[in-house]
Amino acid sequence: MAENRPATHLEPKGVLGLDVEMDRAEHTLRRRLPRKLPKRNNDVYINMKTDFKAQLARCRKLLEGGGFNEICIHGLGLAINRAINVALQLQANSFGTLQIAANTSTVELVDDLEPEVDDEEPASRTRNNSAIHIKVYHSFSK
Amino acid sequence: MSNAKEKKRAKKLRNQPLNVVLPFSDTGAGHGGRSHQDGERTFQPAQSEAHSGTSHHQKLGHSFHGAYSKQQPSMSRGERRGGGRGQGISREIPKYITATTFAQARATEINAMLKAVSQKSASSLVFQSLPRHMRRRAMGHNVKRLPRRLREIALREVEKVAHLKKEQSKNKCRKARRRHINLQLEFNRRQKKNIWLETHIWHAKRFHMVKKWGYCLGDRPTAKCYRACYRAMAKYCLLQDLSYFCCLELMGEEEKLLNALSRLSSIDTGPTFAAVQCLSGKRQGSLVLYKADRYPRDSLGPITFIWKPKDRLFNSSETRQLWIWVHPALKKDILIELKQVCQCAEITNTNACTTELIPAPHPKEKLAVGAKIVGKKRKRESREGEKAVPVKKIIGDGTRDSLHPYCWVSQDTGIKISDLTMELIRFRLIGPLSHCVLGEVLKAAPIHSELEALEVSPHQWWTEQCRSPDAVALHCQQETIFQLLQGVTSSAEIPTGTVLGLTVGDPRLNLPRKKTKAMPDLSKYSDEEVKRLTLEGVPAECAWSSIWTQTVRNSVTDNKISEQEINRMRSELLVPGSRLDLGTHESKIPVLLIQQPGKVTGEERPGWGSGWDICFPKGWGMAFWIPFIYRGARVGGLQQGLQHSQYMGVPHITSDFPDCPAGVQMAKDLEKDLLKIYKRRPPAKRANYVKHGTLAPFLCPWEQLTQDWEERFKALGISPATAPSGTYEDQVQLSSSSNFAGATAVSTEVGSPGKSMVEVKKGVIGNVEKHQDVHREEEIKSNDFCVIRSRKFLKRLSAWCSPSARRGQRACHSSQTLEPEMSTGASSPLVSHLPQALVWIRLALLRKGNPELHAMICIPTEEDLLRLKKDQLYCGPQEPKHRDIFKCKLVKLKKNKKTKNKTKDEEAGVPGALQAPAVGTDHEDLILGLWSAPLPNVSLHCSRVLLGFATHGDFSLATGGGEALGFVSLTGLLYMLASQPADKKGLVLVRNPASLQYRFGRLTVDV
Repeated sequence: MAENRPATHLEPKGVLGLDVEMDRAEHTLRRRLPRKLPKRNNDVYINMKTDFKAQLARCRKLLEGGGFNEICIHGLGLAINRAINVALQLQANSFGTLQIAANTSTVELVDDLEPEVDDEEPASRTRNNSAIHIKVYHSFSK
Repeated sequence: MSNAKEKKRAKKLRNQPLNVVLPFSDTGAGHGGRSHQDGERTFQPAQSEAHSGTSHHQKLGHSFHGAYSKQQPSMSRGERRGGGRGQGISREIPKYITATTFAQARATEINAMLKAVSQKSASSLVFQSLPRHMRRRAMGHNVKRLPRRLREIALREVEKVAHLKKEQSKNKCRKARRRHINLQLEFNRRQKKNIWLETHIWHAKRFHMVKKWGYCLGDRPTAKCYRACYRAMAKYCLLQDLSYFCCLELMGEEEKLLNALSRLSSIDTGPTFAAVQCLSGKRQGSLVLYKADRYPRDSLGPITFIWKPKDRLFNSSETRQLWIWVHPALKKDILIELKQVCQCAEITNTNACTTELIPAPHPKEKLAVGAKIVGKKRKRESREGEKAVPVKKIIGDGTRDSLHPYCWVSQDTGIKISDLTMELIRFRLIGPLSHCVLGEVLKAAPIHSELEALEVSPHQWWTEQCRSPDAVALHCQQETIFQLLQGVTSSAEIPTGTVLGLTVGDPRLNLPRKKTKAMPDLSKYSDEEVKRLTLEGVPAECAWSSIWTQTVRNSVTDNKISEQEINRMRSELLVPGSRLDLGTHESKIPVLLIQQPGKVTGEERPGWGSGWDICFPKGWGMAFWIPFIYRGARVGGLQQGLQHSQYMGVPHITSDFPDCPAGVQMAKDLEKDLLKIYKRRPPAKRANYVKHGTLAPFLCPWEQLTQDWEERFKALGISPATAPSGTYEDQVQLSSSSNFAGATAVSTEVGSPGKSMVEVKKGVIGNVEKHQDVHREEEIKSNDFCVIRSRKFLKRLSAWCSPSARRGQRACHSSQTLEPEMSTGASSPLVSHLPQALVWIRLALLRKGNPELHAMICIPTEEDLLRLKKDQLYCGPQEPKHRDIFKCKLVKLKKNKKTKNKTKDEEAGVPGALQAPAVGTDHEDLILGLWSAPLPNVSLHCSRVLLGFATHGDFSLATGGGEALGFVSLTGLLYMLASQPADKKGLVLVRNPASLQYRFGRLTVDV
């Protein structure tokens, strides 16, 4: 993934600002959604659009009333901070009954370059973004 | 007694027949008398007063006492409660009743009852007046089952009904009518005017059908499924029959074709017919066509197109083939223009047409004969000629007469245009899992081995293809790619507009027994290959399919095994329910799969509503339709299509193209419908749009809107103040606004680069005005407005509309990147060139509110913005009520009419009759609640300046809030953006036509 390296730590728009300088006139950059993976009932994907409190309440509900001993909180890119925040909040409010275990990973994202002129080929390229997966579980179950 | 009680009683009595009440007043004399006699009986004063005083029959006192108390239970409850409260005496049972007086008292009541019994009401039939126990089965049919006294009336009734009935049903019994031949004849007759799609009967049972564009189309399902359809769209798969879209085929040399077509489109609006990826046949392209060399005016409408792949294995001639898919409403205009640019003036009605016309019905007959031999049940086979069996009408086209030619050839350029309407079936599958549904339904056709190829099979073209190793290799490649699709989790992950050709087996053979749901299987396919597919898409050669060749298409249509035949063979299977294996006799159908990108514009929900289109030869519609439904696809109609485009934020075909003739026509039709609905209600029960200040609730006056804005700018430009504060002053805005504008101007000079953008823009606007003034005189004033579709300009607009402060870093980036472009002032010539332009915008409401059709988009005043800043929960200002200036006119008109009529009646002479129509024509179209005559200045009519109209507005299930799509005037938009502070960019007010409440919304231009 050497060719993707420069883009890894950048915000999506940053890509547009840096190395597509010459393409900008001829291409439009369209970002695809990250690849959708099968979702279990105890997976929580954190985003930046939903209210933080609502997301926290959702996790709490899953742990308390949902009957799950563990839930998995996922965050991608900008939402990593928030995912960590959610997990820590959960732990802090649990009076020591909840434990957390975090994993990080890299997610490959696809950008499409749609041509604006006739004699350009469309292109797609990948860039990487970091993600976090936090397992929150009841300590007594382990 | 209180007034209320009296009122209550009067209300109760209101429903009593008059003739029942009257006798009481006669005999009621007794009440008064008796009440006098008894003394302790206190009646309601009103009643006793009304009833007393005529005559006092002391003798009858006793009898009346009985009569009265007997009668009391029959009185309404309210009265009884009022009259006899706290008295036990009235409840006493009378000792005796005198029959004569009792009956006498009720004579009229009884009379009325008898009358009602003997006289049936107009709306019911005779036998309905009989009591239930006297009714008999089939009384309406057989007069003799009625009692004799009613027969005469019934006979008359029957005659009347028979007169109204149709002839056809009389001479044939239902069984005969339902016989296949006759049914088919009937069906063919019924689709003479409006063509049926192949799935019509399926739809007609489940959908509200509408007749549109020469077709019968399913509008919306009869089941309650608004949300279910949305879920299918967003999460699974929604199926739509788009066969009514017309396909135009262009054949000719590539260069000449491109030369001719380049006049119809502009590179400004994005890639055209000549785009590399489309020209290779790899991708589908979409365009908005314009009249030849008339860009940016005179648009013809949107189309999609596919080129036949270039490097084919079978034919290496120079001619290219291009399919253009157009909406039936646009077809006429586009076809005329195409013929003109390709110089296909003359009609070839000798060769091409006959070859196309004849083979289609002919083999059908053959097929019908084949069915006859198999179906043993059919009688009269020998007696009737084969021609007597009506063939199921497959060819047909709602957009042209069958006599019209559909093939044109140009002598100069050698381009051949043919109309393939109804030759191809097109289904659309919307939803992230639509490729899974496709994958389950379609199975690639088996390749004929050497031995099998020797057998005589009806599918000659396939056997021939199987002989060529290249074709076999291509088929295998297509098959692997198609299977690889199962490893993709969403259809949006495939590159936009990918085309994949395929040859599939008969989809009816692998029909599941139960409805199942198709799900992607990720584990089966390696990540690497899937990744390559999603990144690079389908290779260009895989887009090839034999569907492009006409002979193959015809052969596939003709050699379809009928449903009956398949079922018969199924029933003869040794193991019931096992898969039917037809070997070489299994049909092979060439199909074309085209990816639809879904939402591509805007930042939210990328790829929402993506899916696949499938095209295959005619005749196979139902054979593919049912398997799709068995795989869990939900079916939607036109309404769902509209919803789909609305949530994607793309203009809906015809209704959102106000600059093309079909769009204008559509708007007019809509106005007519809405007006009809409006007129149906009494004036008191409908919105008075004049009072609401809505000038045009049914038809958006685009032309006038743009003209008004143009004139406004002219006036503003002429006004001496060229300084920003003076320029942006508005008649409507308060004086404080000018101060505010001045303040921003000061702050921009000091402020950050993000803020300096405002200054630049103001400069631009100033330039615009100056330019306009200069150009105004030079330009020939054309009345036409146009819609901006230039990508460059839209991008710039989109950047200007987004608020810079709120989005933070990201917006800064975009503004920085676009700032140099703005400073060059490249936009000003464009604006001056197009003073009457509209911009397609999307509008999301900030808080409350649900925009409706033709909602007005207005500019908020400074005060509104300030209030919003102070109070986050501020809903929006209110429009003061307007005065209905037409009402007095209308009243006068009515009076005039009355007097005219009177005088006419009196005189019965000629002059009155002559005068009356003259007056009538003066205000003929005056409808209470609507503006009639020429509209006043549209933009300045209300307290907020009008910017544009919403052409769609609804609660969006996708965003969870009110959302509207529409057009605004370009000059108006620029004016608004220039006067708004940086963090409030794109804030507008929306008001529904029948409401006085403005709501805040954020305006975005999606590119």
